[in-house]
Amino acid sequence: MDKNKVKILMAKPGLEGHWRGIIAVSSAFRDAGFEVIYGGHMLPAEIAATAVQEDVDIVGLSILSSNYMRLVSETVKELKDRGRGDVMILLGGIIYKEDFPALKEMGVAEIFLPGTPLDEIVEFVRRNTSEASQKVS
Amino acid sequence: MAGSDEGKVTTASGVPVKDIYTPDDIKHIDYERDIGIPGKPPFTRGVYATMYRGQLWTIRRLTGFNTPEDTNRRYREEYELGQTGFSIAPDISTAVGMDADDPRVSADVGHAGVPIYSVEDMETVFNGLPIEKCSTFLADRVGGLLTPAYFLMAEKRGIPLNQVRGTTANDLCTWSSIDLFNQPPPDGFLRYAVDLIEWCTQNAPRWYPVSFNSYNPRDNGINAVQEMGMLMATVIQYVEEAKRRGRVPLDRFVRRFAFNMAMHSDFFEEIAKLRASRRLLQRIMKERYGIEDPACGQLRVHVQSSGSTHTHQEPLNNLVRIAYQVMAGVLGGAQSIHANGYDEAVCLPTDQAMLLAIRTEQIVALETNVTNTVDPLGGSYYIESLTKELEERAWDYIKKIEDQGGMAEAIKSGWIHREYKKAIIEHERKLASGEITVVGVNKFRLEKEPYEVPIFRPDPRSPDILIERVKRLREQRDDAEVARALKNLEAVVRSEENTFPAIMEAVKAHVTPGEMARIQLEVYGPWTYPIGG
Repeated sequence: MDKNKVKILMAKPGLEGHWRGIIAVSSAFRDAGFEVIYGGHMLPAEIAATAVQEDVDIVGLSILSSNYMRLVSETVKELKDRGRGDVMILLGGIIYKEDFPALKEMGVAEIFLPGTPLDEIVEFVRRNTSEASQKVS
Repeated sequence: MAGSDEGKVTTASGVPVKDIYTPDDIKHIDYERDIGIPGKPPFTRGVYATMYRGQLWTIRRLTGFNTPEDTNRRYREEYELGQTGFSIAPDISTAVGMDADDPRVSADVGHAGVPIYSVEDMETVFNGLPIEKCSTFLADRVGGLLTPAYFLMAEKRGIPLNQVRGTTANDLCTWSSIDLFNQPPPDGFLRYAVDLIEWCTQNAPRWYPVSFNSYNPRDNGINAVQEMGMLMATVIQYVEEAKRRGRVPLDRFVRRFAFNMAMHSDFFEEIAKLRASRRLLQRIMKERYGIEDPACGQLRVHVQSSGSTHTHQEPLNNLVRIAYQVMAGVLGGAQSIHANGYDEAVCLPTDQAMLLAIRTEQIVALETNVTNTVDPLGGSYYIESLTKELEERAWDYIKKIEDQGGMAEAIKSGWIHREYKKAIIEHERKLASGEITVVGVNKFRLEKEPYEVPIFRPDPRSPDILIERVKRLREQRDDAEVARALKNLEAVVRSEENTFPAIMEAVKAHVTPGEMARIQLEVYGPWTYPIGG
């Protein structure tokens, strides 16, 4: 395993069943050379435990069922409880714009809505994981 | 731009399109054999002789949110506005068979649909609504509680089971396409699905016990040919299972098959798809299974505007997309139509989006006069040629699935999910390269969203309401009766017997969805979809 690679856990907290977005983004991350763990449906506590165990840089959450406030805040809390409040959290899916400030306040680094070009998401990760990406190059 | 450079212009599924079609392009098509008149095999022009002149399609929109009470209010509004059928969207907890107080599902209760845990919840949803006049579609979990609860409600209202009208989803094809938790593997799925069909042939002959559905698979990015192929391969899988069991004569088993397909963006291809699908089904029944009764090979189809074509950007543009997709469904001869809310990619539909969706169908039905004659595009050189081409390509795709061992095996081995995954990734590549155009997304995209639309917010209190309700349900029921029903269900599940009567008894005894699913999964499950990793 390449220690310098950006490592991302992709997960769907909750049991809502849309997978198209998370699969497209996971695939784009792999193509970009990041190491991706596809978690699928996981409880917030399971996401945090896996993030710790796998020592990931980023947790990518995909939520399309409008209960993201609860699910994101639980995930953030579980990560902090395990001393990994530093993990970058990305959120994708159907998210209401008026909730963006509260989500960012909670600790979400960026929110990607449907129709976002995958390149933009990859670019965001590259830009914001400069240390790791320097190691890659 | 379409030019004379043949082969470069194609339909969305990749069928080459010429700049002009003439009688030469339909020379290989025989009117009597391939097209015929509506209401007669091969049903290319429609399943009914008079089509919309005899009866308009059913306006049926999938609805459900928050609680049974809130959903009932919305159903009443829809009915007042002229909706003519109902369609229950179960919430996530109901769809996966987990009780509201299960920590794994509690955040999802009341989201993406309505939680229904008992006959009483079902009665609340349909309070004041004439189910004897309207039919209802149930997007039930396989072996789930919605169908028995609906039957029990009908009986309580004095509607005998042989009169109750509606449809249960019960379909392996749909199921393969959504990431559902707490599911049996394909074999277990097929067992519960076929049990319901067998039971209905004896007891609820007007019910459609299965709706073969390619709408959700299509939203994974597959094309029209793959959609038709997966749909028909699933039909074949069910008939093969009925043959293997040999309990019900095949012509009775297949008599009440219903269908549900997507209406995507490629207007003529989608119309040709419905026409070709009717021909395919009729040929499968007749040529493959020797079922001569023409009542058996009729593709009665509900269509829905394709959610994956609707954009988050400039959501009002979706109104236009939806209207064209509804029109394609009508020109293709659908029996029932769901027009999406224009805000599909933004939230669950607001009241206004729901109203506009119903009005869209009514405007197409009553103002455009497209309903005046049956299959108005029949005989068009292009449409007939495309119908034939899609039929042939679908046969090839069915063959591919059969080479994998049939639909169930192709799901088990991960083949189907590799098809989904390829389609998802391919679509993104084409969006990025500009090979396909989505207005306002990869072309003419505005830097800043020009307007906001109202949003719908589910009631955050729903999980707590349902947690209380399921606890009360457990307290108030007769424990001995529940224990008996669970024991009986477990014994039946472990045997070869039909499980549906035991499921009915369990629902009558107020066994909860979570308790029921646990027993149903013990023998088969759990199953993880072979996608993602």
